[in-house]
Amino acid sequence: MTAVQAPVSAARSAPEQTRARYPDAKGYVERDGVRLFWERYGDGDTTVLLLPTWSIVHSRHWKAQIPYLARHFRVLTFDGRGNGRSDRPAGAGAYDDEQYVADAVAVLDATSTREAVLIGLSRGGRWAVELAAARPERVLGAMLIDPAISFMAPLPQRQAFSFDEELDTTEGWAKFNRHYWRREYRDFLEFFASEAFSESHSTKQIEDFVGWGLETGPETLTLTQLGAQPASRSEMEATLGRVRCPVLVVHGEDDQVRLHAVGAAAAELTGGQLVTIEGGGHCPQARHPVQINLLIREFVESLGGMAR
Amino acid sequence: MRAREPDAEGYVERDGVKLHYEVFGDGAPTLLLMPTWTIVHARFWKAQVPYLARHFRVVTYDGPGNGRSDRPLDPAPYQAEAQGRSALAVLDATGTERAVPVSLSMAVQWALWLMAYRPERVLGSVFIGPSLDIAPGYTGREEPFDEPYVSTEGWARYNRYYWRDHYRDFLEFFFSQCFVEPHSTKPIEDTVGWGLETTPGVLLAENDAEWVDEATLRDWCAASCCPVLVVHGTKDRISPLRRAELLAEATGGALVVLEGAGHIPMARDPVRVNLLIREFVGLAGPPAAGRRP
Repeated sequence: MTAVQAPVSAARSAPEQTRARYPDAKGYVERDGVRLFWERYGDGDTTVLLLPTWSIVHSRHWKAQIPYLARHFRVLTFDGRGNGRSDRPAGAGAYDDEQYVADAVAVLDATSTREAVLIGLSRGGRWAVELAAARPERVLGAMLIDPAISFMAPLPQRQAFSFDEELDTTEGWAKFNRHYWRREYRDFLEFFASEAFSESHSTKQIEDFVGWGLETGPETLTLTQLGAQPASRSEMEATLGRVRCPVLVVHGEDDQVRLHAVGAAAAELTGGQLVTIEGGGHCPQARHPVQINLLIREFVESLGGMAR
Repeated sequence: MRAREPDAEGYVERDGVKLHYEVFGDGAPTLLLMPTWTIVHARFWKAQVPYLARHFRVVTYDGPGNGRSDRPLDPAPYQAEAQGRSALAVLDATGTERAVPVSLSMAVQWALWLMAYRPERVLGSVFIGPSLDIAPGYTGREEPFDEPYVSTEGWARYNRYYWRDHYRDFLEFFFSQCFVEPHSTKPIEDTVGWGLETTPGVLLAENDAEWVDEATLRDWCAASCCPVLVVHGTKDRISPLRRAELLAEATGGALVVLEGAGHIPMARDPVRVNLLIREFVGLAGPPAAGRRP
């Protein structure tokens, strides 16, 4: 695989917002020529790896978790390939699920982390499952937040539109279309963010989300979508069944991007616990941060990890 | 649902008007979080009460005209002196000998009355977004209040007849002017909701109460001798910063200017405001002994 350094867009050169907590260490790890940017916060005994999610955003989507968790645990984040300070490799193959899972292992290695508790949102939840199934010795537990597992309970209004074909409408989920992205990328980001944040008073979270989305572009995002070739139903079910570590699934009751039934099924197939966020949308870590943070802390402590 | 429920509550009646008060915490000294324009009620302090009650004793009350207080339709209870006396009645009813009044916007006048006429009851005073005739208000808002409105744009909605016809729209307009900070949908929703708990008739009665003139305000300022803190946002579209500057000057108080803040910073900059109040009270009154910092 060859790494192609994408040009730095104008949006990326905009100064970052100030943070409540800055990392204690940061660096790049290179895997197959692709550079991944990671950060470490705190130095607790147990490591919590906050996985990336779809590269429409980058690791700042955990901004409401990092300062709290870093007071109790060692917290690792990294930008998924395709956004943030990580590379934007060419070719859809660079963005399949296996790549993100291998990236997570590379970050654990680069930070000398023997084992960690995985926290994954949406696609990150899928990668947490894959990683827990493939490398059980590295995973103490997995918390899946509004996991995206495509064969389960697909959203009907999403299924109606092709991603690849030119469509004759641009309403609603018809915006989830590569041609539309090229023409109206920002409008797509705003649409998607408004679906992801179905809670009232989400203007700040939507603004953040759109801003992070603008740090990548329609070309890269198209590759991430083409690269995400989810395993077949039977393969995915087998993977979920192979997970041996404790699993906690947290899903927004009102998730408009991945239905609550997905989380419920993932909990059942992994033998994990299911917690429903009342009134929660697709990104409860941003709109219900206290609840999510306490759930993460409780989950990590239940694994025998010592809070500081 | 509230983050912090009161430890005690009750009613006090003054001049035939029943006022509802609440008491939180048992630290020292007591903070009196005063009502303001009766377009809202005591819940506008919701981002202050839980924090401050951990360090001090906090008393709030609904002014005449909103919340759980009566809704008189004559102007008398809304006069500055009457409002000052209502504050005093709440202090008496809650067994509070001395307190630090914290006042927002037009309530600053009522706090000044207390400071001038009952100095022995006031340890110090915090004024936020002061709105009083110590300096002129914003210009360009001269459409007559008492004549039928011609325009329905902007401040033309600050009009007796418009309130009667389109009360909710006026509330939405007014609070969008109060909360100029981005991402204020929640405070706007809250305040509009509180505004709907009273009526245009009540606001009109209040509007007929005279504001305190400049000379009287200056007398009251000169008579007050307690420590003063004035807090004002640079983006306050209701009351100009100049008023805060002059008020700080006239009371010998400290002025803190909040960059980018609008008229009601306690809702959008709660941490900042809470820390300012706490620091000020730490200087103005006895420390909250034995309490966790």
